[in-house]
Formats: sequence, C-alpha cells, structure tokens
Amino acid sequence: MEVLNFLPNQYRETGALEINHNYLIEQFADYPLIFKKIEKLIQVGDYTLGAEVNRFESRFAEIVGTKFALGVGSGTDALFLSLRALDLQPGDEVITTPYTFYATIGAIVTAGGRPVFVDVKEDYNIDPKKIEAAITPKTKAILPVHWSGNPCDMDEITALAEKYRLPIVEDSCHGIMAKYKGRGLGSFGFGCFSMHPLKNLNVWGDGGVICTNDEGTYKKLSLLRNHGLINRDQCEVWAYNSRLDTLQAIVANHLLDKIAHITDARIENAQYYDQALGSISGIKVPPRSPDKKAVYHIYVIQAERRNELQDHLVKSGVDAKVHYPIPMHLQPAAKPWGYKVGDFPRAESICNSVISLPVHEFITPEQRTFVVERVKEFYS
Amino acid sequence: MRQESIPFVNLGIQFERFQNEIIEKFKQISSAGHYILGAEVEAFEHEFAEYCQAKFALGVANGADALFLVMKALGVGAGDEVITAPNSFLASAGAIVATGARATFCDVAEDYNLDPEKLAAAITPKTKGVMPVHLTGLPADMGPILEVANKHGLFVLEDCAQAVGARYKGKRIGAIGTAGAFSLHPLKNLHVHGDGGAITTNDEKLYQKLKLLRNHGLKNRDECEIWGYNSRLDAIQAAIARIKLRHLDEMTTRYQTIADNYWRGLKGVVRVPDRPDFAEGVYHNFVIQVERRPQLQEYLSSKGIETKIHYPIPIHLQQPARKWGHQEGDFPVAERQVTKILSLPIYPELTDEQVSRVISEIRFFYEAT
Repeated sequence: MEVLNFLPNQYRETGALEINHNYLIEQFADYPLIFKKIEKLIQVGDYTLGAEVNRFESRFAEIVGTKFALGVGSGTDALFLSLRALDLQPGDEVITTPYTFYATIGAIVTAGGRPVFVDVKEDYNIDPKKIEAAITPKTKAILPVHWSGNPCDMDEITALAEKYRLPIVEDSCHGIMAKYKGRGLGSFGFGCFSMHPLKNLNVWGDGGVICTNDEGTYKKLSLLRNHGLINRDQCEVWAYNSRLDTLQAIVANHLLDKIAHITDARIENAQYYDQALGSISGIKVPPRSPDKKAVYHIYVIQAERRNELQDHLVKSGVDAKVHYPIPMHLQPAAKPWGYKVGDFPRAESICNSVISLPVHEFITPEQRTFVVERVKEFYS
Repeated sequence: MRQESIPFVNLGIQFERFQNEIIEKFKQISSAGHYILGAEVEAFEHEFAEYCQAKFALGVANGADALFLVMKALGVGAGDEVITAPNSFLASAGAIVATGARATFCDVAEDYNLDPEKLAAAITPKTKGVMPVHLTGLPADMGPILEVANKHGLFVLEDCAQAVGARYKGKRIGAIGTAGAFSLHPLKNLHVHGDGGAITTNDEKLYQKLKLLRNHGLKNRDECEIWGYNSRLDAIQAAIARIKLRHLDEMTTRYQTIADNYWRGLKGVVRVPDRPDFAEGVYHNFVIQVERRPQLQEYLSSKGIETKIHYPIPIHLQQPARKWGHQEGDFPVAERQVTKILSLPIYPELTDEQVSRVISEIRFFYEAT
C-alpha cells in the first residue's frame, strides 16, 4: 500500500509500512456513497459554489461556533485571504511562530507582510509572554498556530490583542473540533482551516475554510474569494479566485457526519500514547491542560536520538515522521531576514527532537501497543 | 407547439457521455488515496504540454492563479505595470493587481483582441510585460505583439483561458510568448469538475520556479527555497482533464462547425466575428454584435434561447479601476463593442437543428420587426 504525503516522491520510500500516517483508503472505504451525491451534482452541472457549499459553510460555522464560515481553495488561502482582508501594507508585521508549516509564512509574505517570529513554549505553541516584546507600531496582527490541533493560550493572546487593538488570525489548520475553555478554535478572530487530504476533516484535493463572527469581514472575504464580484458583471475590489470546489463540499459534508467520531478516536489514541510513553526515559510528552481539548491532527512528542528512533520505527513498520526538522527562521527562504541559529532556542530544540506517531482513527489498540513496544525496545 | 429550450450551457449532457470513464477514474483515485499532485497530475502535465506544443506544462488551482504565478515567477511586483485587454474577464487584471503591480490597458481591435498597433503607445518605463488575451478562443495577433514586446524587453504572457487548442499561424497558443495561462473551469472548452488551471512554457528555468511556487516553495519535504503559494491542480481534476483532452480535437471541430453555421447563417444580418487569416479560433464563445440588443435578447429568451454578454462592463470602467482615473472614452473600441456584443449558445452537444433554430429566430427578429 502506498502512502500519501504532500510530496509525491518521498512517500514511496515508506510504501511497505504496516502502521501508516495515511488513512485515506480506510476513511473513504464508503466512497460509493459519495459518488452517488457527486453524480447528482454533475448532472445538474453546478460546479462553482452553490447549495452544497452553502450547506457545508453553515454546518461548519455551527461546529466552530461562529456566525459565518466561508469555503476557500486551501488552508493557505484561508490564511492569505484573512490577511488580505486586513489590508496589510508592505512592511507591516505579523507576529507568529517559527515552529509551523511553510504555508503560515508563505501566506503572510504573499499578503505583503513580514513575519515576526516569537519563540514557542514547551507545548510547541507560541509563548504569549514573549509576544508583547515583539509588538511594534508596524504590527498588524497576531497569528497563533494551534500546532498539531493543540490550542494556544488564547486568554493571554486575546488580552494582548485587545490591549494593542490587534486582530487575531488563528492558524487552525490542524485544529478542527479543538476547544479552548469550551470555545471552538477558529472563533477568536479569523479562524483558518485546511481540509487537505491529511487533515482530520479532509476532502479529495485542496480545500479550506475561514470562520468569523463579523459580518463585514465575512462580506469582504466573500468578495475576495470570487474575483471581487458583487454580481455576475460588477467588480467591487480586485481579488482572487479561491473557492472551495462544490464537489469537495460534498465530500466535506459527508465527513462532517463523522467528525465527532474521528476526533474522539484520535484523542483516545493520543491519551493511550501519553500514558504509555510518558514514563519512558528518553521521551518527553508535551504538557497537557484540562482547559484545552486537543484533537491530534498529528501526535508529536520529543525524543532523544530522534533520527535513530525514527529509523528504528520505520524498520519495524511504523510510519514515524518528523513535522518538521527545520524551523521557519532557518529556512533558505528566510535568509534575507538575517535570522541565525540561537534566535529561537526552544523552536530549534523542538525541531531537533520531535517525532510524530500514527494517531488517526483507524489505528487499532493492537497497533498502538505495537508502536509503544517498539519505542520501549529502542530505549531499553 | 412549445419548442424545447436551448440553454446557454449544458454540462449535464457532456457528463453523460464521459460518465463511466470519470466514475471509474474517481474510484481508482479514491481507492488508492492519491489526491495531491502525483502520477495523474504528472501525466496530465505531460499530455497537455504535448497538446499545446510546449516543452513544459504545470497543473495549478485555477486560471487566475496560472496568470498570477507566472508573473510572480517573472518577478512582477509593486511599482510594475502589465498591459492587458480591457474587455477580458476580470481575472486578467485581477491577477496583475494580485502581484502588487498595476494593470494598464491597450484598446482592442475589431477581432476583440489587443490591437498591436496601439500597443507601443501603452508602454511606459514601468511596463514589465504584456498579457494578450485570446478572447472568445480566437488567438491575438501574436507576431506584431511579440515584435513590440521584444523591442521593449517585455515578457508576453498569453491569457489562454478561453482558447485551449487554438492556433496562431498553425502553431498552438500557449508557448508562443513567454508562457501561457489556461483555465479548466467548468465552462471552458476543456474543463474539469471544479476549479483548475494550467501553465505552459518552453522556458525551463521559469518552469522550475513555477513548480516551487505552486507548492509552498518546497524543494523537498523539509526545505523551503522561496516563500510560495498553494496552488495545485487536484489529482481527481487532472484525471478528468486527461479523459477530456483525448476528445478535445473532436470537440473543437464541433465548436468550429457550429461557429461556421452561425457565421454563414447570420452574416449580413448581424455583425459576425472576424476570421483573420493568421488564426484558427476554437470558439469558446460565439460573439455577434447586434442592434437593439435588449430586445433581441428578450425575444430569444421568449423562444427558450438563452444568450449572455461577455462582458457588459469593460474592466477599466469597473469600480476598482476607476480609482486609477479611468473614464469613458479611454478605450473606445472596447467600449463600443460592449454595448453590442451578444454570445450565442455553443457547445459540442448542441445539435444542427438547435443551431438552425437560433439562426432563424435571429433572422426573424430583424426581418419581422
């Protein structure tokens, strides 16, 4: 069985594994049901936006707990369009974390902004105590990343945002169904979600969502995703094409029925890992908080001799991955900004030691026991 | 007797034709779990490049992104200008503005495409490139456009959104200029079941850069070479495009036959499209120019015949362009055309009888009233 990742060439290497990160074949085992709905759509020929997208948007808004949700082309576009809605000017700064996926930074740069990095805490998320020192007159937004689906410290971040009158753009791409003190991630400002095939709620290609409680923002974003058109013939602002495909909305609607189960199963697997791995010397499980409902898009821990552990696991048939080995400020693309090793020590040490274990809803109790045994065996 | 209606588009019947093939492909892809890039996208790119007589092709998220990514890869940004046609779809100018540059315009000729004779006058020291639009599926006059562009060191980005398969002096459009940007939107001649786009070029360096830009700037899983975007053609859409590409020539011939019937049937009654010697159009739209347009449109509609206007407001008179100081009279040819143009139904599944009926109703309208 081949394994999918976002780059086609590297998953071939891990093609023979028993316990995979990828679970798409299992997840879409009922694809004939989805085909039935797609066939109907195709016969009507209504491929762009329309009823199925509207239905998805209202259901998604309800899950997150916002007034509005808007389907867009991808999680990257969700971030980009949100920042565009803030009308960033060249030189404007956006505060974010160096421990994230490239798209967070790409979106800021595309929107004309300059990312300003703040180091992370032990839970891999932005350290609210360090944000204030990074705020300048040019700061236009705070962009926390809920890494792995684990909520950031939103009370502290919200307090700062209010104090400095800065909007919050949440990178919730990993965090559908996650909650902070009972409140849905993605409801604190602009909530940006991805439905890439490897996400907890996933479609058959690229797709994303933006959530907001503000009607004006919602209207602006609606224009920005569809060429700025207020009707077929009139353009109000120069804009983009970034729509959630109607066909993908069908897939998303199908999965929304299952998202509670998907989430619970991931949490159960993660809790098992936490308990079983927490006592192993050599493994560091990040701190968990009762205030935070994490949804484990990936299950990330820190490991001594990480690369060797990864080799050991892969050889044993466990698709262990590293998300990701190089922080953003040390990427080749960040060179012009002049960062150096040591600028964000926590993010750097995390990148050197994190490892991700398969945690999706199709992992069986036997499989997760097997994974734990292989980790124990490595450190014994 | 009440006659059957003739809708402007009818995607349902095209799907019936390819239904089995498409569903089979969907099953294959979903049972393998390959949704992002990968073999289907690569195969589409290879076949599409060959079809367009280009060295390289790249699948992207949509036609607007195709334009945007090429300009980004060519370094277009704030302070630059790119010249395009004022009568195109908004996305042509929108993509220019998305790069940070300003869209400037050059009036069109009677064939609805950039008027090469007016191009030089539109160039300023800030101009970085020209974006001719092969509007309605008819190639712009690329020879003189390239000549002017080369003289001024400008890139030429072909907006091929409406013109897949069209030929300019025997050569397919898409890699005649620096690069070509295609849309695979459901209403295009070659289309998928959602948004999709493609870029063609003969320039390997440009191709390599575009490959980075569409996928987060990643040179491998862990290293980001340049901050990029996410603009990928979905694998399932690539699979659909491949199925349809195999039938594109045959569908194009049908578009051309219908256009020819309209042309002969309506010549002398309304203004039929120019058919310049240098171009072989693919008639994404069949656009006529008419007197008393609202009345004609209403009459046809009463007979069940749906028509459209592509597009009633030229780009330079759209709200956001007026902020650049544009006003009526800036591009008189485009402005005159928009008051008269009307697009007739045209798609491969339209029957000869339906075409004849559209022709006779238009003739009847002008003869009887």
